[in-house]
Amino acid sequence: MADDVTAVVVDDHPVVRAGVAHWLSSAGITLVASGESAEVAWTGPGAGASVVVLDLHLSGGTPATSALRRLVEDGRKVVVYSMRADDEIALQCLEIGALSYLTKAEGADHLVQAVRAAAAGHSYTPPALAGALAGDRSETRPALSPRETEVLVEWFQSESKEFVAQRLNITLSTVNSHLERIRVKYAAIGRQAPTKAALVARAIQDGLIGLDDL
Amino acid sequence: MTDHAVFTTTRRVLLVVVVATQLVLALPALVEHGSPAPWIAYALLCCVLAIVAGHVAAGRSERFPAVAGAVVLAASVLATTALPEGASFGPADWAFGLIGWYLLLVLVERPVLLVAALAAHVCFSVAWFAHAGNGDVGTAGVVILSGTSFQVGVLVITGVLVRDARLAAAAAAEHDDARTREELARQREQDLKAGFEGQLGALLPLLADLADERVSVADEATRLRCSVAAVQLRRLFAENDDVPDPLLHELTACVDVAERRGVAVSLAVSGTATPVPTEVRRELVAPMAQALAAATGRAKVSLLRTPSEVRVAVVADAGDVLPHRGTVVTVETSVHSGLVRSEARWRTT
Repeated sequence: MADDVTAVVVDDHPVVRAGVAHWLSSAGITLVASGESAEVAWTGPGAGASVVVLDLHLSGGTPATSALRRLVEDGRKVVVYSMRADDEIALQCLEIGALSYLTKAEGADHLVQAVRAAAAGHSYTPPALAGALAGDRSETRPALSPRETEVLVEWFQSESKEFVAQRLNITLSTVNSHLERIRVKYAAIGRQAPTKAALVARAIQDGLIGLDDL
Repeated sequence: MTDHAVFTTTRRVLLVVVVATQLVLALPALVEHGSPAPWIAYALLCCVLAIVAGHVAAGRSERFPAVAGAVVLAASVLATTALPEGASFGPADWAFGLIGWYLLLVLVERPVLLVAALAAHVCFSVAWFAHAGNGDVGTAGVVILSGTSFQVGVLVITGVLVRDARLAAAAAAEHDDARTREELARQREQDLKAGFEGQLGALLPLLADLADERVSVADEATRLRCSVAAVQLRRLFAENDDVPDPLLHELTACVDVAERRGVAVSLAVSGTATPVPTEVRRELVAPMAQALAAATGRAKVSLLRTPSEVRVAVVADAGDVLPHRGTVVTVETSVHSGLVRSEARWRTT
């Protein structure tokens, strides 16, 4: 696949870096750098990569949310790749401005789609993240339409967009645009970030969402 | 034995002592040395005696008012002051010992007041003795010591009895509590057994059919029944485990059985744990357990807890799945492109 998507992987486990490198290169995505600290995304070839795949739990300890925040504030497109399926942390990463949050239990397919979407400035919502959004109890959560909620829940439950489309009698692209609309609603709340602003602006431009919906 | 029982018994014994002392020791001395004033004291004491006797005979439990002690002390003053010069603590002093017993009789439940009244009685008698000034100090000392030490001894014994009675009562109450707890545990176990039998409904007919060779495990239908029974049984075992998230625990148990059968199951959980009653858990898990039992290759189980709902869903490549119906949960089962989707929803609000 001849596209110019480039990525940098930040993960403290060599085996994960190798695995991700293999998955990405098999999908035609060029891995320009990889390393065990966020430095690799700021210096050398990594500084120019279009997408940063960031492991949130570098060397055990506390989640690397500050590293994520710095990258996002610089306008970098970040896909968070975490070993923990923790709803609260997932929602926190979206709030900071990550374009996707994937757990390591989710396979190559989701990672490649998330990186591609991020390179184009789009969000990507894997099933586990859809579950986290559907179960969100925070005060500040945006109001979702019943249809949007249904799409979110069905996607979480089935892990198959084709299945969701069939179940709800809609097309595959409608499923995707519902998911994108939900993410745009989430991008419009909380702290400002270049990636979030771009997500909202693009959605309004494309007519995906009206200003009234936000 | 309660405090009341100890005091009642003590008072009965004291009553006998007082009657005996008043008739056998005090009356002859009074008759021998008497003038009109001490007879008033004697009469006063007789009144107190009559009231206490009536009280004991009626089996009443309330304490005597402190004024009874004051009446006894007044009798003490009357009797002591009526004594001839230098007769204090001598054979003519019929009242000294008797007053002490009277004070015990009316104030036995109030040790502090009793000791104060006894002290007042002794002090007044000693003061009167010193005032007269010509008595034998040695005899007086012996009389005071022998009389009061005996009365204080009775008071101490009563205190010890009361304390022991309280300890015994506490021990008895604890024993009763233990018995009650034991009985409750037994009842709970019985309820659990009864519940198990009710829940085993699907299993017992299957075992009976297999034993009677009415069905054979060579049949696909029988194998499905076995599979369903296995999942139900595993869920039932998990039902009473003491875990922080019982619903997830039951789902995991069902997934475990399916995985042992070779089905690749993925379980996704979202939202925070909310309390779900046992009955509702049974209904939430049942459709998913049925679909898992029928699954052949892959299955995806999900638990979603939103602010208003708990939803348990399964998407599996299962053949025939009987539609389930819940009483408190809404169950929806459908088939799309060869996949069965079954979802049970329960509104928390």
